[in-house]
Amino acid sequence: MNAIYSLIDLLLPFEWTEFNYMKNALLAVLLITPLFGLVGTMIVNNKMSFFSDALGHSALTGIAIGVLMGIDNYLISMMGFALLFALCISAVMDSGTSSADTIIGVFSSTGLALGIVLLSASGGFAKYSGYLIGDILTVQPAEIVMLAFILLAVLVIWDLFFNKLLLTSINADLAASKGINTRFVEKLFVIIVAAIVTVSIKWVGVLIINSLLVLPAASARNLAKGMRSYHLIAVFISLFSGVSGLIVSYYTGTAAGGTIVLIAAAIFFFSYFLNRTREKA
Amino acid sequence: MLKRAAAVILAAAILLFSAGCAGRTTQNVRFRVVTSFYPLYIMALNITDGVPGIQVENMAGQQAGCLHDYQLQSKDMKNIEQANVFVMNGAGMESFMNKVTSQLPDLRVVDSSEGISLLANESGEENPHIWVSISNCIRQVSNIEKGLAQADPQNAEAYRTNAQAYTAKLSVLRDKMHTELSHITNRDIITFHEAFPYFAEEFDLNIVSVVNREPDSQPSARELAETIRLIRGSGVKAVFAEPQYPKSAANIVANESGVKVYSLDPAVTGENSKDAYLDAMEGNLKTLEEALK
Repeated sequence: MNAIYSLIDLLLPFEWTEFNYMKNALLAVLLITPLFGLVGTMIVNNKMSFFSDALGHSALTGIAIGVLMGIDNYLISMMGFALLFALCISAVMDSGTSSADTIIGVFSSTGLALGIVLLSASGGFAKYSGYLIGDILTVQPAEIVMLAFILLAVLVIWDLFFNKLLLTSINADLAASKGINTRFVEKLFVIIVAAIVTVSIKWVGVLIINSLLVLPAASARNLAKGMRSYHLIAVFISLFSGVSGLIVSYYTGTAAGGTIVLIAAAIFFFSYFLNRTREKA
Repeated sequence: MLKRAAAVILAAAILLFSAGCAGRTTQNVRFRVVTSFYPLYIMALNITDGVPGIQVENMAGQQAGCLHDYQLQSKDMKNIEQANVFVMNGAGMESFMNKVTSQLPDLRVVDSSEGISLLANESGEENPHIWVSISNCIRQVSNIEKGLAQADPQNAEAYRTNAQAYTAKLSVLRDKMHTELSHITNRDIITFHEAFPYFAEEFDLNIVSVVNREPDSQPSARELAETIRLIRGSGVKAVFAEPQYPKSAANIVANESGVKVYSLDPAVTGENSKDAYLDAMEGNLKTLEEALK
């Protein structure tokens, strides 16, 4: 870790990298944002932006369960609940009784309400409001290592399954006829989203985690010309808004997560107008 | 179709009815005192000790902590409605209670902050954490004792004796803390929540900076950086977090500036025992002696 710190000191000898907590935050941003950019592309493709939002809300219930069971590290209870929650949503969606957005809306509000009820029962919801906003500055070196492994795992899965994921998302019947186990591929994707959302919720926050997933990919869709550039642009936008948001938040004294999302949103509107003028031309 | 609708309505009615029937236990309680939150509950426990037929209830629960952003629940309302006396901290801690108490004209409200001079922060907001100073706590005990004696005259004598006994313990502790803290030379401290101005005033400590005035929000990167620079450029040797809130920000500041993190307890959560406040303050004394020696 010290080697990385001195590398940052060497490359970025600025005021905002003076302290280790900012170096840690920078490293975390460098790992989280590409992850979100990458997975976000598929979320936007599959029209699942509401789904990841519901998972974010379910994290609150996960925390509440952790509090009730006396687990110090809420990650375990959050992850467990989010996986269960994600697979439930996906199972109910498969049954085809209501439209996807309705089902997700039902689950999302249930997760949030259950979290509020459980957390306020144990005396004051305010103590956990930190999870709503998130705090990237408290990320610890061990957690950065964990993020690095998750990024690596997602990259490997992406490499192995990308074509199957894409084909399933475009046309599930065609994918099935080519011998792809579409159920498995869909569930795998749902599990990936649940995992990265719960792992990063502590630093990004329940309220804005979904924007980080959706905004870069949405902007990239406005700009990209093909699949490859779609992914590259999404990852780049995600990285750019993450790092610049962190720096801006340091100098303006604002919350890091919110600043990052505002920059990503600005990029989206920029890409939107760019796209429109290009279409007209 | 009609049959099914009738069944649903019947089921709903039974559900509502049976829910409504639950509870309403009758106990042999003559006089009910409800306190707003933990520090007052401990005071009331001491004052009412051994008085027959009295019941002391704590509205916010022992783990709720300070009542910033407290949300009233329906059980709290029930609790207050059944109370003979509602004891509150005052000084703005229970500002949300005004609407409740104004709806209950028969409820006797004891404001324990009466006669205590309040400290305000730079923006002129009055600080409600008065009980953290032992002298103020003694004053609050006396206010509560008077309030209870007025509301329940037949036990006035018992309240007075109890209050005197508790006050004696408090002043012994205060004197002990004054003597033991008198030889400390470094009196600069940094805290992470605005709970300690009254405590600092009492024991002549100098609060250099308060990071995180609102304990449930996170300090921004700039605020952290400013605090770290402040500590590096001054003689501050320790930062004080509170057991009630996460230490993450305190740990960051401490790691970067090479000072230690200690835990100072404003006695706002804890065991429901009579000596909880005394124990918390004894603990604070030990912490301060170790941190500032």
